[in-house]
Order: sequence, then structure tokens, then C-alpha cells
Amino acid sequence: MPDTYLGEFEHLLLLTVLRLGPDGFAVDIARELESRAGRRVSRGALYTSLDRLEDKGLLKWKTAPGGPERDGLPRRLYAVTPSGVAALREWRDLLQRMWRGIGHLLKEPSA
Amino acid sequence: MTGVPPPVVDRLLRRALRDGTRGDSIRGDLVEEFRERCTRDGGWRARWWYLRQAFSIWVRAGRLAGDAPGRRRRHMTLESIVHDVKYTLRSYAKTPSFTLAVLATLALGIGASTAIFSMVNAILLRPLPLEHPDRLIYVSDASARTGGFMSAAWPNYLDWRARARSVEMLAASREEPQTLTGRERPRRVRARRITGNFFRVVGVRPALGRDFSDDDDRPGAACVTALSDPFWRTELGADPAVVGQVLQLSDLPCTIVAVMPRGFEYLRPYDIFISMGPVSGSANLVNRGNHNGFNSTGRLAAGVTVDAAARELREISAALEREHPATNTDVTAKTERLSDRFLVNVRLTLLALFGAVGFLLLIACVNVANLLVARGAARQHELAVRSALGGGRGRLVGQLLIESTVISAIGGALGVALAAWLLRVLVAAAPDGTPRLASVSLDVAALEFALAAAAICGLVFGAFPAFQAAGVRGQQALIRGRAAGFTAGSHRLRRGLMIVETALAIVLLAGAGLMIRTLQQLTAVETGFNPDRLLTTQLEMNGPRWTMEKQHEFTRELVSRVRALPGVASAALTFALPIDGSQWNSVFVVAENSAPPRSALRSAAFTPVSEGYFETIGMRLVRGRTFDVRDSGSAQKIVVVNEAFARQMWPGADPIGRRLKQGWPEDKTEWREVVGVVGDVKFNGLREETPIQVYLPLTKDETSRHLAIVARTPGDPSSLTSAIAAVVHDLDKDLPLFLTRTMDQMLDTSMAQQRLSMIVFIVFAVLAVTLAAIGLYGVVAHAVTERTHEIGVRMALGAGRRDVLALVVSQGLSMAVVGTVIGVAGALALSRVVQGLLFGVTATDPMTFAAVVGTLLTVALVACTVPAYRAVRVDPSAALRAE
Repeated sequence: MPDTYLGEFEHLLLLTVLRLGPDGFAVDIARELESRAGRRVSRGALYTSLDRLEDKGLLKWKTAPGGPERDGLPRRLYAVTPSGVAALREWRDLLQRMWRGIGHLLKEPSA
Repeated sequence: MTGVPPPVVDRLLRRALRDGTRGDSIRGDLVEEFRERCTRDGGWRARWWYLRQAFSIWVRAGRLAGDAPGRRRRHMTLESIVHDVKYTLRSYAKTPSFTLAVLATLALGIGASTAIFSMVNAILLRPLPLEHPDRLIYVSDASARTGGFMSAAWPNYLDWRARARSVEMLAASREEPQTLTGRERPRRVRARRITGNFFRVVGVRPALGRDFSDDDDRPGAACVTALSDPFWRTELGADPAVVGQVLQLSDLPCTIVAVMPRGFEYLRPYDIFISMGPVSGSANLVNRGNHNGFNSTGRLAAGVTVDAAARELREISAALEREHPATNTDVTAKTERLSDRFLVNVRLTLLALFGAVGFLLLIACVNVANLLVARGAARQHELAVRSALGGGRGRLVGQLLIESTVISAIGGALGVALAAWLLRVLVAAAPDGTPRLASVSLDVAALEFALAAAAICGLVFGAFPAFQAAGVRGQQALIRGRAAGFTAGSHRLRRGLMIVETALAIVLLAGAGLMIRTLQQLTAVETGFNPDRLLTTQLEMNGPRWTMEKQHEFTRELVSRVRALPGVASAALTFALPIDGSQWNSVFVVAENSAPPRSALRSAAFTPVSEGYFETIGMRLVRGRTFDVRDSGSAQKIVVVNEAFARQMWPGADPIGRRLKQGWPEDKTEWREVVGVVGDVKFNGLREETPIQVYLPLTKDETSRHLAIVARTPGDPSSLTSAIAAVVHDLDKDLPLFLTRTMDQMLDTSMAQQRLSMIVFIVFAVLAVTLAAIGLYGVVAHAVTERTHEIGVRMALGAGRRDVLALVVSQGLSMAVVGTVIGVAGALALSRVVQGLLFGVTATDPMTFAAVVGTLLTVALVACTVPAYRAVRVDPSAALRAE
């Protein structure tokens, strides 16, 4: 078992932030989650989860000034911390270990 | 397009998140996305999206605001409460009939009790709107023998004022309506004549102009007047330069010196206050033997009790009795707290209604508890599952308390709306002359009461199912499923609650029954005259221009013109109307007896009437004759007495030809011969015994300034109103008519207090019985469902339908019977309290109680039989297979 427990939604969030690169902020994260994972999430739940990941030390953010499109309110740009990356790696390894040797059981039936 | 998110929502969000980078960035994100959505989906959908997201953030605000970690727990709790409330609303929406039943019960209970509380609070509980009202006393002369109030003789008042040490200041005043003329139409104004220190005693200063002073009391001082705020506004257009203007009051000029502040009221609304000067030197007032309608209002000296002041004033009166034996024999002083004196007529009614409403509220609570317990029993399984899944007991109990709080909050809100409506109805139905009616409103105190009532309903009665839930053992309950334990407990609880509810319903029913009997008795009272199609109106010939001659001229002309009106069958004048009560009580001497000592002299109601009066109102002539046209011109002094007088003064003898004289033995009034005896009429309301009465003829030497016109018609009496007003206006344009009513209206008014009590009790009783019936039905129906299996077994073993019916009905009815026994005992225990409200029936009237018990048991029988028939239709084989 990896040292840090990751919930399924936390897992998805970390991957999304990683995928968006250094300029990702909440709006992008929500959009990416919806388009790629088909996951619609209320903003309340989104921010709570982001904060929880921050509390666990897996995410960090820095501020960037906002433009007129958001009434000059700041943006928080999220990035995955090294321990976040480590946690993701551990989970990926675990899942891969578990998958080894059973891939053929899930083969799509051929037409 | 750059849209603006809904500003209210934005503001709420800003407050929830507070300032700081986190909050700002979250709001920025929302704004940015909102604008994107505006262009993509349109404004309304974007707004709807924004609202939902803002709410999702708002409920988690504690976690997001972030900076102080200690705050987190509390907000977690808030969040769980929000969740519970949402869950509660959803679950209530799923059971609409249960929800409606609870809400209706709560709304009725809270609404009715809040409305009645508002009245009780405004009229009884709230202190009088005067300075230190607890130090204000009411002093009057009274008979030492009977304790009955009479008004204070002016010289007695002056002596109290000069000698009393326990009273800081003592004022005198009396009601003295005036005719206001010199304006577009003559008008009768409600006036109170007051001494110069009156306003200082009650503790109010004029808003405009000067206070009255002792100089205004001096004999011969010019008349001055202070206007009430409403009169100043409506009659004088709130003219700020009104001080110094002159009003023509009953033909005398009276200078306005003050306008009283808004909201000032002494016991009842008055238009104006007038000074003593014009009357204080009059021979009538200076005579110590005359009690001219004054009473005294005093302010206690610091630290003096009402009892101490009463003692001192009695001592002063005893001294006066020694100093003036001719006038003051048997005269003492009676002192009460002003607020007590002034509420004496309404206190009992209001307290009885308040008690009744308390019972209704209790019934509502019991009913709600009953419904909640039933629901709790039905939800036992759900609670067990939640508990098995790790729902802590505290959390479950909290959830149940939230459920009852939410529903009582909604019920309370509905109740307040109902109370606002009920209060309007009650104020409209309140008897004329109910004090402080104008100040009755749904105010902060009433809302607090409603809130408290709702909270008590919610907490105390929500606690029943919560305690039950606290006893749930997750796994146990799951395993035992629908079996006995918990259910039996809740069933016992419901039976107990039903007994309480039935008992309370019996008490209210008994109240309603007694009030109905009272009104029946009042309506059946033999009035002694015929009130059908009789119109009455009144006038007063005040002022120096009304000489005796002019009064006589006017009244003769008035009677003949009114009689000539089309639609008038007969008409006459009287000084005082039946029911309305006496305006003139006086001692008298009967010639044949040697004059008894002063304290033993009887007093009678003296009533001058015109010829034709007895015939017009339909009184019975017992002996001799009534007055006729000759008497008004003749110098022969005659009277007609009523049966009570004849019976008491000359028992067993023929009164015709006997003589009597009004006044004290030494007075120079003339002897009068009795020419007739008429039947007794109800004179002071319907409840009082008829007083001994002497009727005098109105003649040219004996007129009356105050007169009532009575006219009988074959048609609708109120149609005569304008014709009579036109006759009066034609004869004298400055004479206003007042208190124009049909005799039926007068009778109605005299029963208004009893009628109001009756209506309230009936409404409450019907509600109570309905609630009890529904409750009983619910409990029995529930029991039948629970026992389907058992009933099936019984029937399979040979029990007949009749046996099953009897079994179910008797178990249901046993609750009603036990409740009835307790209720009757309770009602009998309370009988002393309501006796004062009743007339012609005792508070323990067996007939009424029999009817009440019969009604309730019949309703209970029906409520039990309906579900019992369902039990009879149980198919034994199906019932046995079901388990």
C-alpha cells in the first residue's frame, strides 16, 4: 500500500493538474475533468477537494493577477508538489502490479 | 458581452468567503466562467448555474474560508445541519398527508394562541401607557353598607386632596360628552372634564401649548381645553397654530390651550379634555350630598402601598362622616389600583379565553407528538439501518430534533399568518368599550410568543420520537424487524397521548357547552318590553340657550313631528333606555312610612319619560294608568312605578294613590302620587336584576336635557334614521344625534362579551374534538394494521366478525372513556374559574356535562368504528400467509 491514501476523485484531480501544466487554474481544471473524464463537479466540491490536497501537501498554488474578464480578481495557479508526484507514482505502480497477468481477461470481445 | 452575476448572490458569497486570496480567486473563477457561459448558454442559464455553484460553495464556506483552522469544526456542524434540513424537507415532501396534518395542527394551535395572547397582552398585561402606572390609584365614594361604588362628591374629593398624606397628587375627572358647534355640522365629542393637576398625576405633558393648572379649577375661570392627538389631526387638520383658537362646546366658548401627545390615552379614547372652571362653583357640585359622576385618580407617594393609601382615605372619609352626618352617613372611600379598576369587566373573559387557548395549544402539541411518534415507529427500520451503518446516536437524535424544529418553524410561520387574520376578526367581534382595543396588534411580544410556542412544540414534542430513537440498537432492530418491543412502546405512548388529548377536548367542549347555555339563557331572558322594530337615538340639549321653556317646546314639537313621519307607528321620549342602564339613581321617601334613618333609605332609578313611552316600547301596564297628553301640561305631580317598586315598598297593598318624594327627607322636592304600576323591564343589561324604578312625566317644569327618542315602525327601523335626523336638524341645526341603534342592536351589544366567549369556545372545541377524533382514528387504524396477523388467527379459530369489531372498538373507546373521566374531573375543577362568565347556568350543570360527554363519546365511537370495519374485512388465510 502507498503511504499516502488517494481517493478516486483526488486521484483524478492530481492527474488533471499535472496534465494542465503550470498555468492551470480551477476553471481549466473543471473543464478538463468534464471533457476528459466525463466528470461534472460542483464548484463547492472542487474547491474543497483542492484544499484537502493542499492540506495533504500534494498540491501547491501561486497567485497570478487577474484581467478584466474576472474583474481583476487574482487567479490561483495549481501545481503538483514532489510528494504529489511521488504519491501518483506509487499508486500507478500499485495498480500496474495488480493488472499484471490479467489483462487478457478484460479483452473486448472480437467481432 | 460581459454579464454581471446576480449581485445579491455575489454579496452573500463574498461574506461567506471573506477577503483574502482564496476567497477572491474563487469569486474570480466563478465570474470568469459565468461570463463564458453567458455568451455560450444565455443569461438565464448562466445565472442558474452561478446560483447553484455559489450555493455549493456557500454550504462549505467554513472549509474554504480557510485561514483559521479552529473554525472548521463548527462549520462542519453547520454543513451537517444544512444537510439534515435538506434531508428533512425531502422526507416531508414524500409524505404530504402527514406533513399537512402536522402543519395544519401547528398552524391552528400557534395561530389561535398567538392571536389571543396578543389581545391579553395588549389589554391586560402591558402596563398602562402612563408614567409609573403601578403607582396610580382610583378613588371613589362607596356605600359603607353594600360596598357598591358611587361617584365621588366634589367636596369629598377636595377634602381627600387636602388631607391625604399617602398620595402625592390627587386629581378628579368625569366623563362629560359635549356638543361641538360652530363648524360645518354639529358633532358630539367624547370629552372628559378634569382638574388642573390631572395630566401631572397621570404623568403626561402636552405636545403643544401649556398644561392645565390649579387656576383653571377656580370657580368662574374661563373654559380651557386640551385636544387629543387624533382629534387635532382629523378635526382640525393638525393645525400647528391651533393653540389660542376657540371651540364652541355645548354653546360655551372654550379656548384651546394644548394638544396632547400622540398615543396618550386615559382608560378609553377621548376627543378633548376640558377644565373645571365653568362648573366648579355651581351649587350642584358644591353640595356634598350630590355624587355627580366624578372619580379621583391619584399618584401614590413614594414607597406607599395601595393598601396603606386605601386605609388613610377610609379614615378621612370616616372623619368626613362625623363632620357632615347629613350628607356623608354611610359614605366611605374605595381605593383600587387604576389598572385593576379599569380592566374589571374584561379580565375574566380574557383570562378564560387565554386558558382555553392554552388547552388548544396543548392539544395541538399532543397531536403533533402523536403524529411524530407514529412516524417514528414507522421509520424504526430506517433509523436502524442508519445506526447500523455507523450513524452515531447523537447524530440520529439530532436529525429527529431538526425534523421537528423544521416543521414547527414552518407551522409557526403559518400560525403567525393565521394569527394576523384571527386578530382582525377578534378585534371586530370584541364588545364595544373594550379598553385599549386600539393598541391590540401583532407586535414583537406576540411574535416572541409564537416563536416560543413553536419552539416548545418542536423541542418538547419532537423529543418523544427522539428519545425513542435513542433507544434503537442498530443490529437488534434490524434483526427483529417489525416485531414487538419498540412498536409496543410507541403504541403505549400513543395511547397515553390520546387519553390526554381526549381529556383536554372534554374541558374545551364543556366550556363551549356552558357558553352556549349562557347565551341561550340570555336570549331567553324576559326583557319586559318588545324590542322588535324599535329605533333609538339620543340627543343632549346642553348650554345656556336651552332654557326649560325651550327644552319643553322642543321636545313637544319633536315628538309630534316624529310621530307624523311616514312609517312611524308610535314614538316617545325617555331619559334612559332599557338595557342601557340608569342615568339617575336617587334616594326617595315614601310618605306613609315615617322617615327611616338616612343609612336605611332606599334608592331607585328615576326615569322621566314622555306620554306614550310605555305603549311605544311595549311595556305591560299592571294597574292604574300611564301618562297621557294632559299630564305634560298639568301641575299635578304624578309618577308611575314598576312592579319591583310596588312589591318591595308596599307589599300586598294597592300602590295606586300612595305618595312618594325624590330626595332626602329634608329636601324641598314635591310629593308625587302613584297613578300606575308597569311591568319590570331589564334595565341594566340582561344579567342584572331589575332595579326599583320610578317613572316621571316630562312636563314644562320638569324637562330633561338628555333624551332618547324611541320609535316603532312596521318596517325596518334603521330606515327611519335619516328621517328623524332631518326632523331634528330642521328644529335645531346645532343638535347632533348620537348612539343611533335599533333595540335589537342594543340587545346584541349587551351580549357581545358572552357571544365572543361563546364563538371562541365553540371554534376551539370543534377543533379539539376534530383533532382528538383524527388522533383516535390514527391510533386504532395503526393498531389494526399491526394486529392483522393476530386478527387473522382469531378469525381462523372461529371468532365472528362481531367479536373482532367489539374487540377493536372497545380497545379504542377505552382510551376515550378514560380521557373523558379525567377531562370531566378537570372541567369540574376549573368550574369555579368560569362561573363568573356564565348566566342562568351553573358551571357544573349536569345537562351540559351529559351532552358534552355524549358528543365526545359518539365522535370517538365513529372514529374507532371506521378502522374496526377494516379489521373485520381481514381475510384470515391472507393474514396468516402474510407473515
